[in-house]
Amino acid sequence: MDARGTQLLLPDGMSGSAAADRLAALVPVVTERAYSIDRTFWESFDGRLQRAGLALAEAGGRLVLIDAATHAEQAGAEHPRAARRLLLEDLPAGALRDRLAPILELRALTPVARVRSRLLPINVLDDLGKIVVRLRGEQSAALAAGAEKIALRPRLHVVGVRGYDVDFDRVLALLTRELGLQHAPRPVLDDAVEVLGRPVGGTSSKLRIALDRAERADRAAVTILRRLLDVIEANTPGALTDVDSEFLHDLRVAVRRSRALQRELRGVFAPEPLRVFRDGFRELQVLTGPTRDLDVQLLEFGELAAGLGDGAAADVAPLRRLLEQRLVAERRKMVAGLRSERTRALIRNWADYLDALAGAPEADRPDAARPIADVAAERIGAVYRRMVKIGRAIDDGSPHEALHDLRKKGKELRYLLEFFSSLYPPEVVKPMVSTLKGLQDVLGRFQDREVQADLLRAVGDEVAAMEGGSAALMAMGVLVERLAEQQQQARAEFAESFAQFAAKPQRRIVARTFG
Amino acid sequence: MTPVVALYNIKGGVGKTSAAVNLAWTAAEQGARVLLWDLDPQGAASYLLRIKPKVRGGGSRLVRGKSDPAALLKGSDHERLDLLPADFSYRKMDLALDATKRPTRGLQRVIAPLAEQYDYVFLDCPPAISLASESVFAAADALLVPLIPTPLSLRTFEQLQRFVAQDVAGPRPRILAFFSMVDGRKALHRKIIDEVAASSDGCVLQAAIPAASDVEKMAIQRRALAGFAPRGRAVRAYEALWNELRPRL
Repeated sequence: MDARGTQLLLPDGMSGSAAADRLAALVPVVTERAYSIDRTFWESFDGRLQRAGLALAEAGGRLVLIDAATHAEQAGAEHPRAARRLLLEDLPAGALRDRLAPILELRALTPVARVRSRLLPINVLDDLGKIVVRLRGEQSAALAAGAEKIALRPRLHVVGVRGYDVDFDRVLALLTRELGLQHAPRPVLDDAVEVLGRPVGGTSSKLRIALDRAERADRAAVTILRRLLDVIEANTPGALTDVDSEFLHDLRVAVRRSRALQRELRGVFAPEPLRVFRDGFRELQVLTGPTRDLDVQLLEFGELAAGLGDGAAADVAPLRRLLEQRLVAERRKMVAGLRSERTRALIRNWADYLDALAGAPEADRPDAARPIADVAAERIGAVYRRMVKIGRAIDDGSPHEALHDLRKKGKELRYLLEFFSSLYPPEVVKPMVSTLKGLQDVLGRFQDREVQADLLRAVGDEVAAMEGGSAALMAMGVLVERLAEQQQQARAEFAESFAQFAAKPQRRIVARTFG
Repeated sequence: MTPVVALYNIKGGVGKTSAAVNLAWTAAEQGARVLLWDLDPQGAASYLLRIKPKVRGGGSRLVRGKSDPAALLKGSDHERLDLLPADFSYRKMDLALDATKRPTRGLQRVIAPLAEQYDYVFLDCPPAISLASESVFAAADALLVPLIPTPLSLRTFEQLQRFVAQDVAGPRPRILAFFSMVDGRKALHRKIIDEVAASSDGCVLQAAIPAASDVEKMAIQRRALAGFAPRGRAVRAYEALWNELRPRL
């Protein structure tokens, strides 16, 4: 049902009806009755709908997914309840949920703007009296806290009707040439979000850092770590209130990346403050670990249980209840920890330290003034070689810890490649990331199955004591066996993916590029 | 899967087109994205929606897969209702289908790529029983048959049920009917409706469409009923019909 559409800005002093009057002199139009509408727009924290060219508006108890440019409805559903956040599973099954699923994945929707609009529908007709172009004058205001209204620039929506493209082009040309209307640079929702002081397009947790090869290593490190600190701070409120599980995930990834850089670029920091901060960041990682592990267990629970078949899948319900109870308890501990003065001081002091780093004495920071390209190359080369060494030592009899160690090093290498990709040729970095990703996928599967099986074994006694526990325990036994099979499968795939990662041509490229 | 509902009757003048247009409009009004294909070469549904009954390349190219059906769609005056218009060449639809490898799958091939954009597809079928009808039977999930409450109409409906049960190969559409053009002043209409209600196996829906002048005025107004008589009893009857039909699709 896609239709073409655009938005034009109405100049000061020109209302929608004035535009309609001027247009009526040129083409047949029918103006309908104007109406007012209050809409609350929902969006994910990272602006996924905006990036997809969509907006989700709630009005009168109904959620409607619209094309942000044309405002054409894509799908709709009843608004499930007066919720402060909406996850996919909160939406009723149907077109809206189906349409949002691949866009949102695990992300929640929260209200980002309330907009009060006065809309004037104006229809352009053909010689049969049929609507061939829809216009809509819009005079809107963003509603800020305290019911303050902030007027937005009035605009005219121009929406084509399928199969009447010629009319659309004709009317658009009249509006722009004869009436002198200008195209609106962005949808009205973005204007509203901006005047309400929120980030247009959401908040990204991506790095997107461009460095200069000759840049001092400590300055480059500060650039990256400052960005990571921003990500930690941006995601903390959502992690505390559990808006969705991605806040905690992104927070933890930023902490892990920070730790990797603290470790790999240790020569740009003075040893003693670095030791204190590394301890602090390790604590932060430990503090958030159990909650994240349980989040993952519960997110994957459905898939895990589904493998048991219908009857047995229901048998593991006590396990789910137990995991949910544990999550509540662990989350409480995590929230207290994240809100503690100790954590707040860590973040505050780290920010202050980064701000002062570039001007700090260099006597005990041997890499501080070296070009970042040299320092980073050394570290990438060293971590790669270390991985090759660890991996070569792994055989069928190696303990799972050996594979886990390799995976941890792999994450470090991945982060280094992400931090410093702008310094090296993409034809070197991309294939390296690709083979590393293949290896990490195998190692990740191996490790995840290990963690899952460990958890099942660890909670066996507790589950057995619950109502319905005996059946659950038997089903869990089947699951542990299945996880062991999958882990064995991952182990069998390891040799091949490692061989690709450590192949001679790859080693030669690494040696040539990174030394 | 998007349900495909074919408004079908061997007889003409029983209210197929009025039902197709008003049901499609009602579904759109309730929030669904709807496609209506006007398969009747007379183009009455296209006429009622003020859309020219013309398909570039004609019906033959369409069913042979030589035209992109998405490029032939026309938006109606309702934002969520699109029309694949009629074309006079549809009068030769049998010949066009017969020239394809699997004639009874011809219409299905046209609908399949369009259906994912819509929540419901309605077919307004010409009154006949032919190769094109068999292609309708293959494409539709439900045949919705308007019945004038007369003995001959009921007899024709039974013939249709028998034909579909005995002569249609492959998956068969569900056959549902509703009373159309009901004149409550006629004893015969009342009697037949009561008898069918008492003996029906559920294939005749309870909602009935009255023989209202509003329905006839659609051809003058060239709009769906909701566009010019939104509170009339005919509109309410189509709404009741749609609300009864929708859960059965």
